[in-house]
This record gives sequence, C-alpha cells and structure tokens, in this order.
Amino acid sequence: METLQHFTLLLVGAALVNNILLTRFIGLCPFFGVSSSMDTSLGMAGAVIFVMTLATTATWVFWNVLLAPLGVGDFLYIPAFILVIAALVQFVEMYLRKASPGLYRSLGIFLPLITTNCAVLATATESVRPGFFKMGIDYGFGFGEALVYTIGVAIGFGIALLTFAALRERLEVAPVPEVMKGTPMAFITAGLLSLGYLGLAGLFGL
Amino acid sequence: MREWLSVFRRGLAVDNPLTVLMIGLCATLAVSTKVEGAFFMGMAVIFVLSMSSAIVSTLRSLIPEQVRIPVFIVIIASFVTIVDLTMKAFLPGVYTFLGVWIPLIVVNCVILGRAEAFAYHQPVRLALADGLGMSLGFSLVIVVLAAIRELFGSGEIVFLGIRLIAFPEWYPAPGILLLFPGAFIVFGFIIALAKWYNGRTSTRLVQTDAHCTIEEGGR
Repeated sequence: METLQHFTLLLVGAALVNNILLTRFIGLCPFFGVSSSMDTSLGMAGAVIFVMTLATTATWVFWNVLLAPLGVGDFLYIPAFILVIAALVQFVEMYLRKASPGLYRSLGIFLPLITTNCAVLATATESVRPGFFKMGIDYGFGFGEALVYTIGVAIGFGIALLTFAALRERLEVAPVPEVMKGTPMAFITAGLLSLGYLGLAGLFGL
Repeated sequence: MREWLSVFRRGLAVDNPLTVLMIGLCATLAVSTKVEGAFFMGMAVIFVLSMSSAIVSTLRSLIPEQVRIPVFIVIIASFVTIVDLTMKAFLPGVYTFLGVWIPLIVVNCVILGRAEAFAYHQPVRLALADGLGMSLGFSLVIVVLAAIRELFGSGEIVFLGIRLIAFPEWYPAPGILLLFPGAFIVFGFIIALAKWYNGRTSTRLVQTDAHCTIEEGGR
C-alpha cells in the first residue's frame, strides 16, 4: 500500500504538477515545432513516450553499472548519456524499419528529432540523479522509481502537446491582429495554458 | 571582410536563432528570470557555439558524412563540459541558478543546427563569423527578455550582488512575470516586435543583398 501510494504520487507529480513542458520549459522545440496539427502531435507524443522510457532504462543501467562504480560520473555524464541516447535512437530506428514498418511510418520522422530533444536527456539525467534540477543532488532512484518517473514525465509531455495542438487548430480561424499572427499568438496561448498548470501547484502537497 | 561582416550580421537580426528560426527556446525561457543568469547563459552559448563551429569547420574534410551527428555531439559535449566545470569552480552562485541548463546546452538546437547547416560546409573564418553572430543574437534576445521580466516582475535588477536599477517602493511588482506564463507572454510580444522590425527593414536588405552575391553561397 505504501509503495503503491508512493508510485502514484510520483506519477501524478511528474505528469501534471511538474509538467515538463509548461512548468519547467524543457523540450519546447517540438512543442512549438510539431503542434500545428493534431496528427503530428499524436505521433510525436507516442514517439516521446517510447524513446524516453527506453533511454532512461539504458542510462540508468549505464550509470549504475559503469559510471557510478568507476567514480567518473560527475564529469563524464553529459557526453556518455547523449551518446547512449543517440545510439539507442539509431538502433530503434533500424529495428523498427525491419520489424514493424507500420509503426516506423508513424513514428519514423520524429525519431531523429528526439535525439536532440532536451526532454529525453533531462529526464535521463534526473532519473539517476534525482533532485538534480534543484541541485540538491542525492543519488539513488531505484529502477522502479526511475521507470515510473519517466513514464509520468512522458505522459505529461503528451497531454500538454495534444492540448496545445487542439488550441492551435482552433486559433487558425480566430481573428488575430496581423502582427501577432502565427508564433507570437502561439506563445501567448502557451502562456495562458501554463497559467492553468500553475493552478495545479501544491496538489497533494507535491 | 565584407563577406565576414554580412555573415556575422545575419545572426543578429534577419536569421536570429530565437525570434526568427525559433530554435533553442527552452533554455531561453527558463533562465530569463534574472539578468545575471541570462547574461552568463549567453556567455556560455557564445563560447560553446563559436568554438564548436570553428572546430567542426576545421575538421570538416575528416568527418565522414554518415557519422557526422555523433561527431558533432562529442565536440559540443566537450566544450559544454569545459563550461560546466569552469562555472562550477568560479561562479558557484550562477551555476546553482542555471542548474540543469548548463548540461542541456549539448542538446540546444542552435548549436547542433549551426554545425549541421553552416559550419560543416564553410571555411573556418566564415564558420566563426556565423557562430559569433548567432550566439550574440541569442544572447541579445535572452538578456532583453530577462531585463523586462526582472525589472517589471520584481521591481529591480540585481547583477552579481549589485543593484543596477530599481523602481520606487510603491511599485506593485506583478510576480506573474517571473513565473512561467510571464515568460511565454513576454516572449510572444518580443517575437511580434522582431517580426514587425524585420518586415519593415526587409525591403532595404533586399537591395543591399543584390550587391553581395555571397549571401546565396552562405546558405
């Protein structure tokens, strides 16, 4: 019971209260890049959930088996993690092309983009060094916690992206002043959406 | 020299990475609550982008096309590690404030994007011009955004412990500007302003472009 409650709080906290896009600004490039239509957003959200989970699994093992015992984690984690993620995405792409052409077609074009998506690197870093974002470094999410945390973050990413894409589709037909058309208005919409997420702060004492 | 300057100038206005190309947004919005943090973020990006552009361009004949992205990432990650450790040693306060954003410079789209789109195909001199111009354009926007947010959001600008400017006591500082929605909304207005400015000057730029043909070669 204790553990179930702990994991649920971790999941909700990562997905809604500390939403990665709207309350922490991580991974904004795809947020503005692909959100102009609902279909591409759905593809991107799926690809992020998939890759982020795999990436955290790989980097968690890499950190706990190799970097931390050797004591080189502190100055080698940036190049090491980004290389693990880049290699992983490359392999996933090759595997999907062979094994599941349907899934490849729907996720395909987003996979290379995800390598340089800071959300994946940030979540992988945070899962092995929880609290890194606030710099109160303490090592040691267990594997289960790291996995639940990552899935929570990825779901939060998907929810925010889809909400924003729906708003932007609606915005297409709205009367917007000429100079504010397009991206300026998208940013102000994102600001209002983020105001909504701000209302969730402090939910369940998180 | 004229060629060098025109590549350099591009990054500042017409091809500004933040307001026109819209890349590298995450760090910008997140660290722009304080002018101090924004300024040092800008410095870090200037260092990483100009150095990595120069190195990528120097090694461009040695880097095989198929593995170029991992090679770029390793070059960039080395410079980011230099910044990470230097800042941790000499500016601990700023380092704590910037936090996860220093390692995340590795995946900042501005830097990888310029290595891929420009430095990999151009001589060192022009790659350096492009790196400097783009990173200065980035720093300019991030500092302006931070100045607006800090001045109006908290009523004063404090830089490394020195108070540069302050509003009188009775100014009711709207704290929302310092929070997340403020960043999005202020940045939306900055983009609108940049769009209006670029639209107004574009006719003049088209005329000058006719005289320097390198503009086309530069892309």
